Amino acid sequence: MAFRFLIYNFTMLLQTIKKDFIQYKAQAEPGNFLTLREAAFAEFEKLGFPTTKQEEWKYTSLKSITDNTFQSTCEIKSLVNDLFYASIESKLTANFLVFVNGSLVNELSKIIEKDNSIVISSIATARKNNQAIFNHHFGKYAMVEGLAMNALNTALLSDGAFVFVPKGKTVEHPVVIFNISDASDLNVLAQPRNLIVAEEQSTLTIVETYYATGTNASFTNVVTETYAGKGAHVEHYKIQQQAGACYQNNFTQFFQEADTNINHVTLTLDGTLVRNNLHFYMNGENCNSLLYGLYVTDNKDLVDNHTRVDHAKPNCFSDEKYKGILKGHSTAVFNGKIMVHLDAQKTNAYQRNQNILLSDDATVNTKPQLEIFADDVKCTHGATVGELDEESMFYLRSRGIPEDVARKLLLTAYAVDIAEKIKIPELVELLEQKIDGKL
Amino acid sequence: MLEIKDLKAEIEGKIILNGINLVVKPGEVHAVMGPNGAGKSTLSAVLAGRADYTVTGGEVSFNGKDLLEMSPEDRAREGVFLAFQYPVEIPGVSTTNFLKTAINEKRKYLGLEPMEATAFLKFMREKMELMEMDKALTSRSLNEGFSGGEKKRNEVFQMAMLEPKLTIMDETDSGLDIDALRLVSAGVNKLKDGERSFVVITHYQRLLDYIVPDFVHVLYKGRIVKSGDASLAKELEAKGYDWIKAEVEQGANT
Repeated sequence: MAFRFLIYNFTMLLQTIKKDFIQYKAQAEPGNFLTLREAAFAEFEKLGFPTTKQEEWKYTSLKSITDNTFQSTCEIKSLVNDLFYASIESKLTANFLVFVNGSLVNELSKIIEKDNSIVISSIATARKNNQAIFNHHFGKYAMVEGLAMNALNTALLSDGAFVFVPKGKTVEHPVVIFNISDASDLNVLAQPRNLIVAEEQSTLTIVETYYATGTNASFTNVVTETYAGKGAHVEHYKIQQQAGACYQNNFTQFFQEADTNINHVTLTLDGTLVRNNLHFYMNGENCNSLLYGLYVTDNKDLVDNHTRVDHAKPNCFSDEKYKGILKGHSTAVFNGKIMVHLDAQKTNAYQRNQNILLSDDATVNTKPQLEIFADDVKCTHGATVGELDEESMFYLRSRGIPEDVARKLLLTAYAVDIAEKIKIPELVELLEQKIDGKL
Repeated sequence: MLEIKDLKAEIEGKIILNGINLVVKPGEVHAVMGPNGAGKSTLSAVLAGRADYTVTGGEVSFNGKDLLEMSPEDRAREGVFLAFQYPVEIPGVSTTNFLKTAINEKRKYLGLEPMEATAFLKFMREKMELMEMDKALTSRSLNEGFSGGEKKRNEVFQMAMLEPKLTIMDETDSGLDIDALRLVSAGVNKLKDGERSFVVITHYQRLLDYIVPDFVHVLYKGRIVKSGDASLAKELEAKGYDWIKAEVEQGANT
C-alpha cells in the first residue's frame, strides 16, 4: 500500500474526507471490508461531527478539534523509543503491540506468548492471516449507525491490535496495546482500531495505554471491539496519560455471551480533551460486568465518560464506580446509562459517581440514566460532588499529620481504591506512584 | 502540664463553655463527668483544636506553651492525644501507613530522623502485643468495618504508638460492652508511667472502676461546679446528677 499522507482540515471536513475516502477506495480491494467502510463513510457523511446540540455531546464540544488542522503520518521519530522505555507499562512482562500515530512499530512490538494458536498481531496482518475470524467479528459490535465518530473510524481506520484467543485458552501474559501520538513536527491524527476475540472459556488481560510526545496537537479517534464468548473472562485496563495538546475520542464496546466476566478499569490521568464511550452488551445470562474509572483533571482539561450497560438478558450483574479529582479550571462529565431490557429479570445493577473538587473553578456535570423495562430488578445509582471529608482531615491532623500531608493521604486513598481494581500488582504499584505525583 | 484558665467557647453563637478552670499535673488522672449537654465533648474538641468552636475567652497552656494558638497537628506533636468518641473510618489508608506517617511527622517536628522501616515495624509489633491487638487490624484500612470495640481499642493502640504526654479520652466508654471496656481500660493502665497524664471524659462512673481517677470534676452548664476524689464519681453513680443541678441552682439564687 502506498504511503498515505492525509491532511484534514475539519472546517472543510466533508470535502476533504470525501477526497481521502475516494483515494482510499481507488486502491482498495473490493470485498466485505470495503463495503463496510463505504457504508460507514456514508453514515459519517450523513451525521457530520457531533455538536453540543446533541444530548450525548451536550457538555463536550469538539470545536477545539474541528478548528485545528491535523495530518495523518506514518513517519516515526526515534524519540518514541525513549518514551516507550521510560513508560511504566514497558516494565511489565507482557506482549506488546506498539503503535505510533496509528501505525505498528515492529521494533518495539514483542510477542512472548508461547501458544501459537493464540493470535496477537496488527489488524493489517490479521486481515491476511486470519481473514475468516476477522471478517466474522469486525464491525459487528461497535455500531456505526447514529455514531459519527465510530463511522469515521471505520471508514478511515489506520491500523490497530488484533487479539484472538481460541476456546479454553488462557493468555499467560497481558497484551499491552501501546499507543503513542508523536506530534513532534506537526498536528497528528490517528484512528486506531482494535478487535479482540476471546472465545468460549478463554481468559485474557488487555492493557490499552496512550501517550503523546511533541509540542504540536494530536487527535486520536479510537474504536475497540471485544467479543467475549460463553464463559470467557476478560480483564481490560485503559490508561490515558497523553500530556500536551491531546484530544481523544475513545469508543470501547464489549459484547458478552452467557457466563462471561469482564473487569474494566479506565484511568485518565492526562489529556486536554478526553471523551470515553464505554459500552457493554450482555447477550446471555449470568454475565458480570465491572466498570471502574478514575479521572484526575487539571488546567482547562475536559474528561467526559459516557458509559452504557445493556442488560439484555436475565440474571446479570453490573457494578460501576467512577471517581474524579478535579483541579484548576478543569471539567468532568459523567453520564452513566443502564438499560434494563424487558427480558432482563433479576438484573442487579449498581452505579456510583463521586467527585472531589479541589478548586472553585472546576466543574462536574454528572448524570445517571436508568431505563428499566423489566419489573424484577435491583438497580441503584448515586452521584456526589464535594470536597475532602472534614472529619477525616481532622482525625489525621489530630494525630500530628500536617494538613497538606493529610490531604494527600486521603486523596491517594480515594484514587487508589480504583487503581487497585487492576489485577496486575506491579502495574498498580507503579500507577500509584504516578497518581501520587499528580495530586 | 495542662493549665486551663477561665476558658470560654461557643458554637454558632451558643455559649457552651463558660469559664473552665482546670490544672492537670504530670502523672495525674482527671475525670470530667457531667450530664448530657454540659459541655464535656466541647471541652475535648476545643483542647484538640477542632475548628467548629470559637474560643471567646480564657487561656490554655500546655507545658508552658499556648495551646490555643497551635494547629491540631502541632498540638498532637507537642504531646496531646485525643481519643475520639467516634473514631473516623478512612478507607484506603492502612493503619500501618497512617501510624508511620504520624510518627515520622512528629519526629520531624521534634528535629529527629525518621524511623527506619524495620525499627518501626518492631516498635509496632511490641505495642500490638502490649495492647493485645489483633494483627489483622493493622493491615486493614483505618477503622474501616471495625466494630465499636475495635475502634476504641485502635484509639488506645494509637495512643501507645504516639506516646503522648497528655491523653484526653472523649467518652471512650460509650457503646462498649463490659469485655471491650476491660480491654480498653487495661490498655490505658499499661500506659500509666507516673509522667503521662489523662483527662477522662465520661457520662458514667463504670469506666472509672477500671481507670481510677485522682480527681473527679463535675461539669454543668459549661463550668466545673464540683471537684473531689474518686468517691465523688461513686456518689454521682448512686445519686445521679440532679442534686448537683439543684445545688448549682440554689447557689445561683442565694
